[in-house]
Amino acid sequence: MTNGDNGNETGARSVYIKDVHKSFGSLHVLQGVSTTIHNGEKVAVIGPSGSGKSTLLRCMNLLEEPTGGEVWLDDRLLTRPDPYFYPEVLRASKTYASMMAQATAATADEQILQRIRVEKLLRRHEGRGFRTALAAVEQKNRLDINHARQRMGMVFQHFNLFNNMTVLQNLTLAPVQLKLKTKEQAEQRAMELLERIGLADKKDKYPSTLSGGQKQRIAIVRALAMNPEIMLFDEPTSALDPEMVGEVLDLIKQLANEGMTMVIVTHEMGFAREVADRVLFMDGGNIAEEGTPAELFSSPKNARTQEFLSKVL
Amino acid sequence: MKFFSQIVELFSTEKYMDIIWEGLQTTLIISVLAALLGLLLGTLVALVTISPQSGWMMVPKAICKAYVTIVRGTPMALQLFIMAYVVFAFRGFPEELTATLAFGINSGAYVAENIRGGILSVDIGQTEAGRALGLTRKITLSRIVIPQAIKNVIPSIGNELIALIKETSIVSMIGMFDLTMAAKIIGSGNNMASYIVPMTVVALFYLAIVYLLTFGIKLIERRLRAGDKR
Ligand SMILES: Nc1ncnc2c1ncn2[C@@H]1O[C@H](COP(=O)(O)OP(=O)(O)OP(=O)(O)O)[C@@H](O)[C@H]1O
Ligand SMILES: [Mg+2]
Repeated sequence: MTNGDNGNETGARSVYIKDVHKSFGSLHVLQGVSTTIHNGEKVAVIGPSGSGKSTLLRCMNLLEEPTGGEVWLDDRLLTRPDPYFYPEVLRASKTYASMMAQATAATADEQILQRIRVEKLLRRHEGRGFRTALAAVEQKNRLDINHARQRMGMVFQHFNLFNNMTVLQNLTLAPVQLKLKTKEQAEQRAMELLERIGLADKKDKYPSTLSGGQKQRIAIVRALAMNPEIMLFDEPTSALDPEMVGEVLDLIKQLANEGMTMVIVTHEMGFAREVADRVLFMDGGNIAEEGTPAELFSSPKNARTQEFLSKVL
Repeated sequence: MKFFSQIVELFSTEKYMDIIWEGLQTTLIISVLAALLGLLLGTLVALVTISPQSGWMMVPKAICKAYVTIVRGTPMALQLFIMAYVVFAFRGFPEELTATLAFGINSGAYVAENIRGGILSVDIGQTEAGRALGLTRKITLSRIVIPQAIKNVIPSIGNELIALIKETSIVSMIGMFDLTMAAKIIGSGNNMASYIVPMTVVALFYLAIVYLLTFGIKLIERRLRAGDKR
């Protein structure tokens, strides 16, 4: 990939993941994942346990910081720029300079850039020119992560409601602390959201007194209270008793119908099939296959997809 | 019934009561000031210790780690001697201050470990949920994590304060006149010429202080717990 596909075709793009790698120590969990989530699109992520689904989702809002590649929100960069994507940055490196000094061919520039990219030749210290060039790219494109996260809601498997706060406080904390709303405005919006999910009477309860399904629905509206552009769900129903799965999936379906952009990591294949516009099948840290639900569920091409689906369907 | 007559003697002799009062004051002053210093230092060190690894924070983090390791790895009496005979060895330096610093610095290391443990015991999901909403690290810590950590930490901080009060009795080793020393003076040949009564009385004083403190901590705990069950 080259610099060319940054920043230009913004309009429809929500989140753009570009060759993202993530390692935990020696464990290479994401091995170069690229995909674009478009505005209004609903993307389901499926795959075996340990394939990197959660890690991919968490890289989108930088709860995990990718060790390589870039994540973009709309036309702004969330990660640090990846120097390998920028020829002008690579040309400012010591590695490039020393390789260029030994080169003779007329086409040396392109070949050397290619070699640096493929063999990942950049070292820890590439000199001041390199640092300055990289900082310029960062300066031009980067969005503060806290601002980015205000635009991206996340829902966790284990709800993660704030245990020291009432339901109402859970919903108003962020909008008020981030000075997006006054306390009164935030409470009014929170009550609207709680009424919507039929839990207005729980506003002064603490999370420990609620059922799993109630907690998760509140966690969803807590994210909605920030008016996000995109919602990220990491197995939102996996920690629920079976009888509560329906109420949570119904709420997510409602959001989908209202046009919310969403990425959902899920083991609920029926739900993925019904709601998603596109399904990503992850295996071993890569997107092994992707397509519409009809394509992927009915006629999977990849052998690993077939094997996985035969086990879960 | 010599024991009881001696108790009456101790409590009715103004000189002995003055000695106890004097010693009690020293014990309380050192305990309270050292506890405050320890809490302050401990909180600070804990916050530095849990802060994310980044360039310039390396130095304070290393200092804090060394501080905790050294303080917890050496005897309290030795730390007191070093303060009294090395660091503040010059004449005229108030010995109460020497003792306060020695005990405060010692206590700070234990408090830091307690607070650090308390913060780490709060589910990481709480932090992630806060950060995912766009809250800063500082707000997440102060509004979500620390309020939950305090509940976990109060009992162990209480134990640390109790240990501190009792430990101050070693100030007599640098010649200071505290509650324990008071018992020794009253029991000596010039005074009552018997240790059993003054030692027993002073022991009851310590017990009373510790009991009051324990009671106070229980009250605080109960009030904090009342917060999450409604
Ligand atoms: N913080 C971490 N430190 C070390 N290893 C991690 C960490 N987070 C995830 N991993 C490892 O990365 C791999 C992928 O994890 P991930 O949680 O993304 O998988 P997943 O596809 O979401 O699986 P599941 O369906 O079980 O949730 C696993 O082997 C996991 O053990
Ligand atoms: Mg997962």
